[in-house]
Amino acid sequence: MMEILLEITVMPLIAFVIGLFMVLMMRRIAAKIQRRVGPPLLQPLYDIIKLYGKQTQNSHGLLHDIGIVMAVGGYIAAETMVPVPGMNGIADKSGLLALAYVTMIPSLGLALGVGQCANPNGSIGIARALTAMLAYDVPFVLIIFGVAYAYGSNNLVDMIAAQQAGGIATWGAVKMPLLAIAGLFSLYAMLGKQPFEIYVAPAEIATGPMVEMGGKYLGGLFVMQCFQLFTATAIYVSIFLGGGENWLTFIVKLFAVVAIPMSLAFVFPRYRTEDVLAVVWRWPVLISLAGIWLVMH
Amino acid sequence: MMTLDNLLALSGATTLAALLLGQSRVFAWLGGLMYIGQIILLAAMNLPDVASFGFDIFGQTVGWQMDGFGRFFALITLGAALAAIAYTGGEWGDRYVQNGNSRRTLQFALALNVLAMLLLLASKDLIAFFIGWELTSWAGFMLMAQGGDRALRAALRYVPYAMGGAMAVLAGIVLAHTWAGSLDIGVLAGRLPGLANWQIATLLVLFGSGFAVKMGLLPFHLWQAPAYAEAAGAGTGFLAAISSRMGLFGLGLLLIKLLTLSRVADLSFIPGVFDAQDLVAWLAAFTIVLPTFTALKQNDARYLLAWHGIGQSGYMLLGLAMGDPIGTAGGLLHVFNHATYQAALVFSVFAVIHRTGTADLNSLGGLVTRMPLSFLAMLMGIIGLAGLPPMNGFVSKWLVYRSLMIDGHPFLFLMAVLGTLGTILSVYKLIHNTFLGQLRAEHENVKEAPWSMTIPMLALVGLGFLTGVAPGLALHYVAEAQAALGLPVMPYTMGGVQSPRGDLDMIWVVGVLFAGFGVGAILFYGFGNKSKRIHQLDNYAGGHFLSADVRYHYSDNFYAGLMHRIGPLYRSSFTWLESSIASSVDLAASLMQGWYRQVTPALVLLIAAALGLGWTIWR
Repeated sequence: MMEILLEITVMPLIAFVIGLFMVLMMRRIAAKIQRRVGPPLLQPLYDIIKLYGKQTQNSHGLLHDIGIVMAVGGYIAAETMVPVPGMNGIADKSGLLALAYVTMIPSLGLALGVGQCANPNGSIGIARALTAMLAYDVPFVLIIFGVAYAYGSNNLVDMIAAQQAGGIATWGAVKMPLLAIAGLFSLYAMLGKQPFEIYVAPAEIATGPMVEMGGKYLGGLFVMQCFQLFTATAIYVSIFLGGGENWLTFIVKLFAVVAIPMSLAFVFPRYRTEDVLAVVWRWPVLISLAGIWLVMH
Repeated sequence: MMTLDNLLALSGATTLAALLLGQSRVFAWLGGLMYIGQIILLAAMNLPDVASFGFDIFGQTVGWQMDGFGRFFALITLGAALAAIAYTGGEWGDRYVQNGNSRRTLQFALALNVLAMLLLLASKDLIAFFIGWELTSWAGFMLMAQGGDRALRAALRYVPYAMGGAMAVLAGIVLAHTWAGSLDIGVLAGRLPGLANWQIATLLVLFGSGFAVKMGLLPFHLWQAPAYAEAAGAGTGFLAAISSRMGLFGLGLLLIKLLTLSRVADLSFIPGVFDAQDLVAWLAAFTIVLPTFTALKQNDARYLLAWHGIGQSGYMLLGLAMGDPIGTAGGLLHVFNHATYQAALVFSVFAVIHRTGTADLNSLGGLVTRMPLSFLAMLMGIIGLAGLPPMNGFVSKWLVYRSLMIDGHPFLFLMAVLGTLGTILSVYKLIHNTFLGQLRAEHENVKEAPWSMTIPMLALVGLGFLTGVAPGLALHYVAEAQAALGLPVMPYTMGGVQSPRGDLDMIWVVGVLFAGFGVGAILFYGFGNKSKRIHQLDNYAGGHFLSADVRYHYSDNFYAGLMHRIGPLYRSSFTWLESSIASSVDLAASLMQGWYRQVTPALVLLIAAALGLGWTIWR
């Protein structure tokens, strides 16, 4: 019991720190592509401290505050369901399916907070974000189905154990390459970077959900982004790349996975909302269906 | 003491009391107590309990008997009635009377619905079942028709469906008797599976379509949304919570107990690929997706919820159609879960109507500061409807998903999740357009709904939360229902499910979720600079300050990008089907009339000539 309590306290902290470095890496990659120097090592942390310390902190009502609390708190809870080397938290009491639904809670909180701000750009941003969710969750749930069927379990702990039993040959990515490709595609869409950043769209809807967010409200969203990057990639690593045998391999895998969409993102412009639906409902869905067919036959 | 006799007697007494005293405001208290009494009687009953009364007709004994399957539905029925009657007692009921409606008729219709459903749920044989079925249909019609002309018109659309359905059920009963030689449900359960495939298929189509009408299963769903949405508030809550589940009760009885799923699966269309069990599952899956995406397009909050009610019933049937312990438990649990949050959502919408006079999602907004309790009820309600933790809707949907995963149905699983995703979009639109965004100038002085309205809805979502954290409370009754149907019982714990292929422990999940919120709150309120609260109407856009008379609430065509892509898929095919059937019936009727009354000799000549010509060609 004490062990679980300790784990569920430590796991979100680790996730946050790794998430911070993922943000840093994302910005460094963008800088490389755009031939800039890029930010220093601790810049993401400085940004959060700066935002929390700002003098102007405008709240549009209690729900605006609660939205940020839910956005950060929901992810803190979700991190206890993502196994990391040596720690399973409550991953075996919830499973992949429950994790996928728990990660919708922060988005719901954000949506409520933005709604309270009564800025039409914010509302349009949420409408687009939910549409994007409808797009990328279709291949994502097919992938969940495929891997749960293949491993005979819905439990991330079991899936990792099954993959670590026989080295790289038993990794999900080797046994289910099509699902792994489709997974990478929907992970990319899920992270909401170009060309999928329809709900931020700075020149169009003035950063959408962030439009009324300043100070620690924006800081909270920054924290949420760190968690989101970690969660999405950790799920991917857990179901396709054998999870973490130890911290070193785990972190290497995490950063390798997140580097792929980040390297692609900054060379793209932005899709329109309907085109996101078209592209995500076509390629990753077709690939994952083919992957499921292979898994089931 | 705790017998079916007493339960039915008390229910009858409630109906009579509603008829005599229902006009009075105080009756809500008396009736409420009587419903509580019925709940206690039912919960404490030793099952199965046979009623001491009954009668013989055509050599058949007609009797009543309550088992675990019936009790599960009956408890939900009584709970829904209790919530609805609490709603009628206060200001809402007074306004309802002021608008020229009869509170007596409403109370009577409600009590009659409960009595009829109890009779149906406790039927021991198919004659008792048919009596209950017809009573339920007509009592349902009576409740739908309360609340003005529009309600009556919508309810009248239900009548041809109900009559068609009843005819099909009656024909099924006659055939079952002819082929199996009995009408007793227990005896039939032993004999019907032994029939030939074509006989099973006939019974499946006849009974199935009759029950599908009541449930609102595709393609018989068109009547339901307007009939439920236009009814009086308390009635809508009751109808939405439980009424159409009687169809599901019938289908459960038919598919699992009478015909058995293994015999249904013997009826194959493409051997080894697609059989009648798959057909039922696919009908359920389409019932999830199509009505959910119809709900997404609605601009009236009542219609939006009513369409979701149809969609959610798909999950229940889909779970039952899987036939395994997890799936059937999920399907049955969803009946209860859906009743809790759907009634709360309906009550919340009617609270908004009570205060603002409209349910038009383009004429509301920003009410969260004015009606915080109604907002809370709607928030918890939509979390349940969307099937997210920590509400109970998540648990039942999780069970259905799990079952589809274990049994290996990727497409059905995709349909089920697609329904959930569509629901999330739709319910965010509901809460955003009603409670979030810009407050309208004319709503600046709106007050919170009275306690008589907020208490029922908060109690309902409270129950939904409680059974979300501890699903074991409700799974106890689900297990009883599974056992009564002869299904294997799903092993459950207080926190959820224990299965070798992945556990769910909601106590941990919810505990961690709220601990996370706690840490999130400490991080937000404990660190950084203190935030300054800005007035709700202090806003700007594009650098201009906005005043309340400028409307900037983003509500119409909320998912413009999505509709750009999927908009062309909305084709109203079912409306077209319904009207084409109606016109064909109309044409057939006028032809018959013309034939009978000889008003159109020319038509007779034409038909004779056409037949003659056809005969000549055929020769």
